[in-house]
Amino acid sequence: MGTMGLALPWKARISSMPRERGTRVEPSEHFAGGPRPALGEASSEDAALAAACRSGDLRAYDRLYTLHGARMKNLARNVLGNPSDAEDAVQETFLKVQRSIASFRGQSSFVTWTYRILINTCYDARRSRLRKKEVANDDSQETPRPEPRAPGAHPSLRMALERALAKLTQHQRDVFLLYEVEGFRHAEIAGMLEMTETASKNTLFQAKKNLRLMLEPPRDSAAETR
Amino acid sequence: MQVTCNDRDPIFEDGTLAEWAALEAHAATCPLCAEEVRAWKSLSVAAGELRDYSDSPSFWPRIERALAEEAARNPRRAERQGWFSFLPSLSPAWPAALAGALVLILTLSAAWIYLRRPVDGRGTEDQSLLKSKALKEVESAETAYQRSIDKLAAEAKPQLESPATPLLADYHEKLLVLDSAIAELRAQAGMNPSNAQLRYQLLAMYEEKQHALEEVLETKR
Ligand SMILES: [Zn+2]
Repeated sequence: MGTMGLALPWKARISSMPRERGTRVEPSEHFAGGPRPALGEASSEDAALAAACRSGDLRAYDRLYTLHGARMKNLARNVLGNPSDAEDAVQETFLKVQRSIASFRGQSSFVTWTYRILINTCYDARRSRLRKKEVANDDSQETPRPEPRAPGAHPSLRMALERALAKLTQHQRDVFLLYEVEGFRHAEIAGMLEMTETASKNTLFQAKKNLRLMLEPPRDSAAETR
Repeated sequence: MQVTCNDRDPIFEDGTLAEWAALEAHAATCPLCAEEVRAWKSLSVAAGELRDYSDSPSFWPRIERALAEEAARNPRRAERQGWFSFLPSLSPAWPAALAGALVLILTLSAAWIYLRRPVDGRGTEDQSLLKSKALKEVESAETAYQRSIDKLAAEAKPQLESPATPLLADYHEKLLVLDSAIAELRAQAGMNPSNAQLRYQLLAMYEEKQHALEEVLETKR
């Protein structure tokens, strides 16, 4: 793949899209690559949201969408490769939350649980897409449909990153997307992917090492350490 | 705090703010670390390329409609649902495994009904702990799953070891993820065997693994 991407002039700060719905999820550039500051725990709001969803109040789902819809759709789009499948997966996730909220016992946070369902739904959708392709005897590689791009996004860097991400293991890709793209903390990711916090940190480290090698191999691999 | 080039990777993996500051200070005089820190951070910034939070105005109304329709169709459904409802729906029948699955479903239902029965004068916390009878039932369900999984895994092994299609490669990856989740849950359940949530999560994982293996075998047909 060569060194395309990381040396390109995309470093200008990527502003978060102004939007009515959705929370700020962009990690502060100050902390880029470094430890993430702890966000305030919103466990009481989380529990209240779960309770309201359990009661069947559609306004609670509206609230869940307002808080997380944009981030859920973005995550799904990065796993599935196109916005239309991503919207289907998010809708399916909301329906699964509605159907199974009675069984939610609050061992993890409600939001963590919701993302766990989303991630499972995305991978199920991916598999069913692959299965359909095989049935149709089309053994060409997955080619995501072209999609409208965010204003200001750098197409070649984005494509290089997407290609590199596709070569990571599922866990590495998930942790990278959840931490670096969606701004979750390792404690939250651990709950979503059912791994330990230490495993999440280690998986992110491996993911970034691999991405670095794919996107920008060290210029002087023979350089000795001091 | 003094750091050297050898501290770089551990700090990348799990460094505190103070350790990062020390690494930056070291990088000011070490070109190799300066380059590595720059590349490391640039990956985080590049991740922003994958962020598109533009809203489509028709999306929430579409979800809301689907939720309302679902609620109208199944007003009491949520209360009837068990632990596994968030899992993917069953794939087309795979006859031999289906018979086994039926036995398991019966066992699970018995365990579930036992668990959900009202217990006079008890708080809800007690429901999160498995009583010895339910525990035995869960354990026997786990054993049944393990047996079924072992059998399916042996059959699916050749396909998974050298996956011939992207779909099989995807299943292979899914099974690896499930194995690590199962290992983690087993470790947690080992420390706290009567925690109902853990045991049922573990059963759900076994069920998921069984389905995945069945689907792998289906691709052969
Ligand atoms: Zn150094």
